[in-house]
Amino acid sequence: MANVFPQWTNSLPKLVVGALLIGGTVAVFAVTYWFSPEYTDVGYTPKQPVPFSHKVHAGDLGLDCRYCHNSVETSSTAAIPPAATCMNCHRSVKADSKALAPIRAAAAGGDPVRWVRVHMLPDYAFFDHSVHVGAGVGCATCHGRIDQMEEVAQHTALSMNWCLDCHRHPEAVLRPRSEITNMDHDPAQSPFDRAAAGLRTVDPPEHCSGCHR
Amino acid sequence: MFGLSSLSNTGRKPDTTGSKPMEATNAHLDPVDGRTPLVIGGHDFHSITEIVARPVEQGMPRGWYIIFGIALCLLSLLLVSIGWLVWEGVGVWGLNNPVAWGWAIVSFVFWVGIGHAGTLISAILYLFRQRWRTGVNRAAEAMTIFAVVCALMFPTIHVGRIWLLYWVFPIPNQMDVWPNFRSPLLWDVFAVTIYGTVSILFWFTGLIPDLATMRDRAKTLTRKRVYGFFAMGWRGSNRHWHNYEVAYMILAGLATPLVLSVHTIVSFDFAVSQLPGWHTTIFPPYFVAGAIFSGFAMVLTLMVICRTAFKMENLLTNRHFENMAKIVLTTGSIVGYAYAMEFFIAWYSGNPYESFAFVNRAFGPYAWAYWIMVSCNVLSPQIFWFRKARQNLTVIFIVSIFVNIGMWFERFVITVTSLANDFLPSAWDYFHPSFWDISTLLGSFGLFFTLFCLFVRYLPMVAIAEVKCVLPESNPHHQPTEG
Amino acid sequence: MTTQESSNHGMLAEYSTTASIYHACEKVRDAGYTRWDAHTPFPVHGLDAAMGLSRSKLPWFVLFCGLSGASLAFALQWWTSVVAQPLVIAGKPLFSWQAFVPVTFEVGVLFAAFGAVFGMLAMNGLPQLYHSVFHSERFSRASDDRFFISIESTDPNYDETKTRALLEEAGADHVEFIAH
Repeated sequence: MANVFPQWTNSLPKLVVGALLIGGTVAVFAVTYWFSPEYTDVGYTPKQPVPFSHKVHAGDLGLDCRYCHNSVETSSTAAIPPAATCMNCHRSVKADSKALAPIRAAAAGGDPVRWVRVHMLPDYAFFDHSVHVGAGVGCATCHGRIDQMEEVAQHTALSMNWCLDCHRHPEAVLRPRSEITNMDHDPAQSPFDRAAAGLRTVDPPEHCSGCHR
Repeated sequence: MFGLSSLSNTGRKPDTTGSKPMEATNAHLDPVDGRTPLVIGGHDFHSITEIVARPVEQGMPRGWYIIFGIALCLLSLLLVSIGWLVWEGVGVWGLNNPVAWGWAIVSFVFWVGIGHAGTLISAILYLFRQRWRTGVNRAAEAMTIFAVVCALMFPTIHVGRIWLLYWVFPIPNQMDVWPNFRSPLLWDVFAVTIYGTVSILFWFTGLIPDLATMRDRAKTLTRKRVYGFFAMGWRGSNRHWHNYEVAYMILAGLATPLVLSVHTIVSFDFAVSQLPGWHTTIFPPYFVAGAIFSGFAMVLTLMVICRTAFKMENLLTNRHFENMAKIVLTTGSIVGYAYAMEFFIAWYSGNPYESFAFVNRAFGPYAWAYWIMVSCNVLSPQIFWFRKARQNLTVIFIVSIFVNIGMWFERFVITVTSLANDFLPSAWDYFHPSFWDISTLLGSFGLFFTLFCLFVRYLPMVAIAEVKCVLPESNPHHQPTEG
Repeated sequence: MTTQESSNHGMLAEYSTTASIYHACEKVRDAGYTRWDAHTPFPVHGLDAAMGLSRSKLPWFVLFCGLSGASLAFALQWWTSVVAQPLVIAGKPLFSWQAFVPVTFEVGVLFAAFGAVFGMLAMNGLPQLYHSVFHSERFSRASDDRFFISIESTDPNYDETKTRALLEEAGADHVEFIAH
């Protein structure tokens, strides 16, 4: 009948099994690392239509976050400022800069500047800024040291379990209301005891309807 | 089903109706169980190999091309339906509030149920030493695998964002979220995929010796290599048969609880909810019995066609069909009993929502579906009380089609009537299927029959080695009674 | 006799009935051969004992695999529900062991099935696509309707004349040498 396969094919099964085992292990590690939000989302730095530098404005010039993102204490969204806010200064400072042309055009009644969104949550996840700010979560806790960024990059994972980690022990990250926009304040170094300050306890939801509503 | 081995056939003349006009030298009764022989027509080991291998080697009858052509058309319809669904979203289906579960889950349960018969034939009948299973188990197991493929397609496409389907598996993902192990929908994922995997393993293990047969008979080098690759170099070594038989027995023992548990878990999709008509403990055994019922009906449909088309009258004998018809009758009666019991409990419970749910099924807006279900499932198999009906292939074929229609409607009635008329009348609404609901269901039949046609074309549809084992000559201590 | 490298792989004898292969195997077993095998197109009842084979170890391996699978699944569910992501869903306890039963059972069955199939293949040394016995033209009937006994030349008792005589005495229709 003659052999249909040459003799060296007898060594193939062991090789294949070995390759699968090694490959499988590598795949598991690869997925665990490359699929994690720390890898896929952290560091996302999209190119913006206008080279706005938070380092210059919030860092060197010392502008408070709320000067531009003015609705963060009262609304669910932090608000991207209209061009008019920029023109408050830029009608005289660098009034002829080419880089600021889209701002001037928008302020003159044209289309709004198409800023590229950096921190994006899916539609099925509800998030309210005002509640978090009211409870004492600082801007830098979720957004990192914006005041040191030339271009805004996503600093934290913003995944469901990342949020839940904090919801499970909020005392570790809370700060007094006065320090909310203080980028240098580190809650790990200076823990804040709300009860001692006479403030209500914070009880963040850990059930599904807390955010999926 | 459990009392079959006690239904004695001794003393009856062997039934050679439908056999080839050959000298029936095995006209004596089977020496092991004293009943009509399982292989008729005076066959020996070699002629059994010939009967089964011939269609694969010599090409298909014309009818195969017609059926395959129709199946391919329906399969293309399925691919278009899925493509449109993925592009536009789940809104292309007729789902509404409150009927948020429609044809997709009905068809899913339908196909999973059909699959269970194959595993019952392979595993449970093996453990019960029902040797007649050897004629049908290969095709039945193949049917199971194709049915599970069709079944798994539905939950896959119904999620909307199919490219994120891997989120159902407990592996790290982008949101750092794990699936919810307390949900029967997730238990389904595990149960049905594991059931599919074990079925494939069982089917393939059984195929190995037969693939070796095909390899050794192959005329072209390509066929030798392809069959040889999958036969894994099987050389009939008894040292190998030794471990092989143990593995087969273990797989049979593992697959048996799967038959019971998988459809039980599927029934939990409904039973763990609060809806009247769903929230009932009868569901697990009711679903399992219904699954076996519809599965055997599908096996009968396929085997009636294959027996005639591929001239397998000597291997798929009247005894095989009679036994399967008896199983259909038994499980159909169990299903009928379950219907009656649901009504009784609905009345006896005194729960107005429960009694309304069942009265509504029979006399409400979906009464038409309910009565199709009852006549197809409860009434039509009753004809199998008559021996003449059990031995008439036309009757068997027609009843098996009715049963499958009835069983699809059963899942439809369960799913849609309970959702359409639940606790709050202001939430009631009527469900209309959209064109794409219908096309997806029809297309799933295209997928099933395409796969089955390919199976009968390239693989031996009867378990050659196992059928040889039921010949009296396979026993080394057999004393031939006639020359 | 045993020290020289034989020019062939061994000897192959063909039998035409299950009774003859059964009795032939008993004779070969009783003659003390160890490196030999029987080849049949289907499993012949009682041939394991006729060859003197001991019970298969496969069931133990399957049990081990099944229990590992079940433990792994239960541990995974415990860890995800209690440690990594403790969420109170529908008021159910974090450690809902009753709800963990279906997945635990199914994964146990899956691992046991893997153990049975891949364990069986491993114990049989399969896939083994090349084997000397396939050199024989008549051997193609081993998967059809004939039964064979092969005795390898590396067996201590192998002797071209004596072994051949034993096989023919036992009722062989045909005896041939197998090339390497």
